[in-house]
Amino acid sequence: MTVSRLPHAALTLKQFLQRQKILGIYRNMLRTIRQVPAEADRKYLRDWARDEFKRNKNATNPDVIRMMVTQANNHLEELQKSLALAKS
Amino acid sequence: MASRALLQCVRSLARPSLRLSSFTLAVRPAVAPAAVIHRPLSFAVDSRRTRRIGQSPIPVVGVLCRQYGDLPPLTLDTIKDRVMYVLKLYDKINPDKLGVSSHFMKDLGLDSLDQVEIIMAMEDEFGFEIPDAEAEKLMTPEEIVQYIADKKDVYE
Repeated sequence: MTVSRLPHAALTLKQFLQRQKILGIYRNMLRTIRQVPAEADRKYLRDWARDEFKRNKNATNPDVIRMMVTQANNHLEELQKSLALAKS
Repeated sequence: MASRALLQCVRSLARPSLRLSSFTLAVRPAVAPAAVIHRPLSFAVDSRRTRRIGQSPIPVVGVLCRQYGDLPPLTLDTIKDRVMYVLKLYDKINPDKLGVSSHFMKDLGLDSLDQVEIIMAMEDEFGFEIPDAEAEKLMTPEEIVQYIADKKDVYE
């Protein structure tokens, strides 16, 4: 009878890594949004990112999560591209 | 012969008068302001000269401008005040519950996304980047204060 010492809600390693990854994406997203020159746009984008992450924070289906990570990466890339275009 | 001389005379009279009249017309508006301007110009020159003689420019700069390169020195107390100020402005934290050692998730009921946002706000406030690995360990205001103090070489 081995009793797990982990708390009931502990994450598996996979979940833990996924969580780190998503927090990293969120951080990157906010860093990128910080470079947006117009104050109003910046606020809008920040609220958008925040709402989008918060809305899906209770998702459990791994496939859905993976899909959303891809989607977030696409958005991030798009944002970075348009920022680079706006600067040049 | 006489008529030619007369004509020339008339022409020479007519032309300068024409030229003169146009000249005066053109010049008068130009001259008048110039005469008016002349005084202030000389006045300006005078005042500039006296200013240059009266005082050297360096003290003026020192007195009139704030030197923005110089921030007030960071101490543990000022860092703590600024951290707490940023946290109070954050809309999801209840300022009444907030304490120096309150845990963001356990005591204040925030999630990991909020914690990321708080760390980003701290980066904005203190103007430097906190690497991801360090950022996720900062869970209480006092840890943030300690981390910033370490990074900025502030000791008691």
